[in-house]
Amino acid sequence: MSAINNKNCKYISQKEIKITFDGKSYSALDGDTVASALLRNNIRLIGRSFKYHRPRGIYTCGIEEPNALVQILNEHNEPNTRATIKRTYDGINISSQNRWPSLAFDIGSINNILSPIFSAGFYYKTFMGPKGFWKKIYEPLIRRTAGLGKPPKNFRSKSIHQNHNVDILIVGGGLSGLIAARKLIDTNNEVLIIEQDCFLGGILKNSNKVKSIDGKNVFEWVNETEKLILGSKNIKILKNTLVTTYNFTNHLIALEDKFAGKKIDTNKSELTLHKIRTTHTILANGHIERFISFRNNDLPGVMLASSFEKYIERYGVAPDEKPVIFSNNSSTISLVKSLINLGCKPSAYIDSRNKNDIEDETKDYLLKNNIPFYPESEVEGCEGNKKVEKVYIRGSNKEISSINTSMLCPSGGFNPDIHLFTQSKGLVKWDDKIISFKPDTAFQNTITLGSVSGNYEFKNLCNEINKKLSFLKVNDLNLDIETNIRDDFSISELWETKTNKMSKWSKSFIDLHNDVTTKDLKQAINEGYDRIEHLKRYTTNSMGTDQGKISSINSLGIVSKILNKKIEEVGTTTYRPPYAPLSFGAIAGRSTYEYYDPERKTPIHNWHIKNNAVFEDVGQWKRPWYFKKDESESMHQAVQRESKQTRQTAGIIDGSTLGKIEIKGKDALEFMNLMYTNAFTKMKPMTSRYALMLGEDGMIMDDGIVCKINDKHFIATTTSSGAPKVLSHMEEFLQTEWPHLQVFLNSITEQFTTFNISGPKAREIISKVFTDIDFNNEKFPFMTFKTFDYKNTQARIMRASFTGELGYEIYISPKHALELWEQLFNYGKEFNLVPYGTETMHLLRAEKGYVVIGQETDGTVTPLDLNFNWMIGKKKKDFIGKRSLTRSDTAREDRKQLVGVVPIDKSLFIEEGQHIVECENLPNKIKTPIEYLGHISSSYHSPNLNHCISMAMIKNGNKLKGKKLFVSTSKGTKNIPVEVVSPVFIDPENKRLVS
Amino acid sequence: MILINCPYCGEREQSEFSNGGEAHVARPKNPEALSDKDWGQYVFYRSNPKGIFYERWVHTHGCRKWFNAVRDTSTDTFLKIYRLDDNRPDISEFKSTLKSPSGEPSVGSGNFAVKK
Repeated sequence: MSAINNKNCKYISQKEIKITFDGKSYSALDGDTVASALLRNNIRLIGRSFKYHRPRGIYTCGIEEPNALVQILNEHNEPNTRATIKRTYDGINISSQNRWPSLAFDIGSINNILSPIFSAGFYYKTFMGPKGFWKKIYEPLIRRTAGLGKPPKNFRSKSIHQNHNVDILIVGGGLSGLIAARKLIDTNNEVLIIEQDCFLGGILKNSNKVKSIDGKNVFEWVNETEKLILGSKNIKILKNTLVTTYNFTNHLIALEDKFAGKKIDTNKSELTLHKIRTTHTILANGHIERFISFRNNDLPGVMLASSFEKYIERYGVAPDEKPVIFSNNSSTISLVKSLINLGCKPSAYIDSRNKNDIEDETKDYLLKNNIPFYPESEVEGCEGNKKVEKVYIRGSNKEISSINTSMLCPSGGFNPDIHLFTQSKGLVKWDDKIISFKPDTAFQNTITLGSVSGNYEFKNLCNEINKKLSFLKVNDLNLDIETNIRDDFSISELWETKTNKMSKWSKSFIDLHNDVTTKDLKQAINEGYDRIEHLKRYTTNSMGTDQGKISSINSLGIVSKILNKKIEEVGTTTYRPPYAPLSFGAIAGRSTYEYYDPERKTPIHNWHIKNNAVFEDVGQWKRPWYFKKDESESMHQAVQRESKQTRQTAGIIDGSTLGKIEIKGKDALEFMNLMYTNAFTKMKPMTSRYALMLGEDGMIMDDGIVCKINDKHFIATTTSSGAPKVLSHMEEFLQTEWPHLQVFLNSITEQFTTFNISGPKAREIISKVFTDIDFNNEKFPFMTFKTFDYKNTQARIMRASFTGELGYEIYISPKHALELWEQLFNYGKEFNLVPYGTETMHLLRAEKGYVVIGQETDGTVTPLDLNFNWMIGKKKKDFIGKRSLTRSDTAREDRKQLVGVVPIDKSLFIEEGQHIVECENLPNKIKTPIEYLGHISSSYHSPNLNHCISMAMIKNGNKLKGKKLFVSTSKGTKNIPVEVVSPVFIDPENKRLVS
Repeated sequence: MILINCPYCGEREQSEFSNGGEAHVARPKNPEALSDKDWGQYVFYRSNPKGIFYERWVHTHGCRKWFNAVRDTSTDTFLKIYRLDDNRPDISEFKSTLKSPSGEPSVGSGNFAVKK
């Protein structure tokens, strides 16, 4: 047994390269795949199987490979690479997977001996109890043993996306695709051809089946066609590209490997994800050979017949000199011819078809070449130590004989590769002639040509293509295709052969990737999983990365026999994208790391960095969370310091992230009255108001400050993360409900930088910066604003506060923002003006009892629940959400209401999110539900009161003030005794605020 | 990804749009006059048919304009797209194409071949 080099192969160069497999160096030829390179070196054991750790080899020669998955060590440790399509290059370093300590001796193969317990539904049946075992024992155990390859190393993918808009997409550059393309040359259709290999030709290069086309040998014909296409003005070819997805509206996705057969240049994009929109899709993506289930059909050395032929013709290597061939159809004779051409000879040719059905040409050819021929026979099984050594044949007389060989090539027929067609939602139908499903009704503008449409006969091909493309009004093309084998396809049904010898280690597989045996199928049906979709999930049949490409129709065949149904009645499982695995890196494209989600920074951002700000994400914004005075200062210390300083002298916060919306137009007043709960009609110009926006269900959606410049011009602020939502909410009602209102909305969030300076010394500081403005309390009272020119831009100062202190909010052009900010600090130095972040802002507002939307509220809170009755314009006829406030449920008195909560023992701290209950202790084991009154929504240690203050939403809270309740903790069953109080802890009379 | 033909911008990818639920549900003129039940009906209830559905869309990452569309929810195909100020097209304009990809029944879904 050894591999033979086919020097006549035109698709592979004779240049030698070096590859490494499992640490050992081998020579291969330039153009080899990992699989063909290993076969060239007589390596047949490639990996260990998923569940039983059985030795596995190379089963196929393409995308359908279930076994030969390898890890590419020099490409970021890329796992689960299909050896049959991964092209090699000088220096590639490959390792086998799922084995320890070595491929030849694998401890995990103990699973094979234990296999009787690993049957269908093993996980569901085994890992059921006792309670708590799942998390601590089963899951870690399963996680350790799960998967095949090891995860890749951290790397940065440079893949890109590319869009195409074409009239016609041809999937597959094989014979049918090329004929279709030739017809379309220099027509008015823009055409894209996608081919997964680096050569065009499909079956013309993969097999020996076609002898000549129009008198030219196939290699010449493909070259001539390619030249014609490349010379045309309207057709493009993408090679090394695989169509993985066929979406709605003729939108397809294909993945191009830019470094096929080359070492990856990490400075360049290694993958391109093509997104293609097309008017018509021509699927010419061919067929896939299927296997046959027999005893030990997984042994290394078993390889599908047409794959064997593809290695000879396409990769120039015959994996073995004298394999045994086992077929149920007429196509396999071309493999025999390929071998004979190389001077080799199969050890036996086993054909399960009836003697009379076998073509005379086949019989004559086998006889002429003196090849042992077994008609009406089948392979019972094979045996050997980590490789095929002996094949058992059940002859036409039902007697078993054996034959020594090192390779066995089964062929169970061909499936049209309907994956993409069914992804497009096309309907398939069963064809008894080819014993497979083939496309029937297309759901989109999809045309199938050649073997994917179920047409396996070359003499009909041009006819079929001319007919199906006639709607394009292009010239007919008639080619004289001469074949090496009989053109009419014949097949007999054979899914599984009966096994005689039964040892516990012998298995007849239906899914090689996931180690599912035909016995598992039978067992699952016995257990009641007789629907194909259930059966698939219960047994994991065809759920591997190969998606059962060589075996899923076989499983339908076996199931149909057990259920005594026709295969079309059993139905197929759903084909879902992708056709073959594609890396997440390709899908993500450029949207990774810092490009994953845009970051928004305020104009003061660099100042914050210089001043040791620690940032927090608020939506896409980066906001200072707190400022570290020095490296040793903790967050708690910083927040306590910032909060205390602000109440003592002054603090300043960068509020540029606040959403700002400008509302302008003749009907702006009416519109604002409808959108917000507040009444704006009597509000004086140049004043502002805290305003609430509700959903139509009466629940609080957002809050902010509304500035009225006049009846035709308002500016509203929103929460930092709510800005887009509020703007689109306003737009929706403006466009859909009140199109008669003449109002324009504009987002001006980034047009104004905002900061708020507050504290008892705020007025002294700001007066020094803006010397022209009179900040006297009478002249500039709370909730009014002034506009003024600042270096030829309009700026605005508003008296507003979110801390409860005297405060001024400055709105200024971003151009001048930083210099103004620094100026404030210049003048603020003598008062110890402190910059503070969001955490201090939250603490200070909690001391004052101000709510934060999304913290106190959660989409189930009405203004009444927050005691915001004063904010509701009851005299207004209508506003969004008004009617809902009087619905029986929202008007209920015992809803959860906002209260303050303080611990009775002032040294204790209450945690946010904890439950409020009536019992002092929780039982160790909760058997009956404990009544829960509400939850803590905010909780801080107040440096100004020196104890913990909390806000809470409690059922009927307004009536519980002064009551003693308990708050649960994360530490144990003992609850913290608390008192329910008013949520305003500091300055309830607003003396500081309006001073 | 579906293409949607914005009446103001032309065909764009679905990801630029947001769906706004059922169309032609007018906000009541005088909400105070409605009973809790009737108001609840307006706020909380929308139909969700399998087949022809009148719905609203907005070109969020485009012109920000709202428009109406008639879509066959069983095949996810747009039958008609029209502006808010256009008249509601009559249902008889559209063929009841309950032709979902696998020929499913009018309610529910599933593998039809298996259901037999």
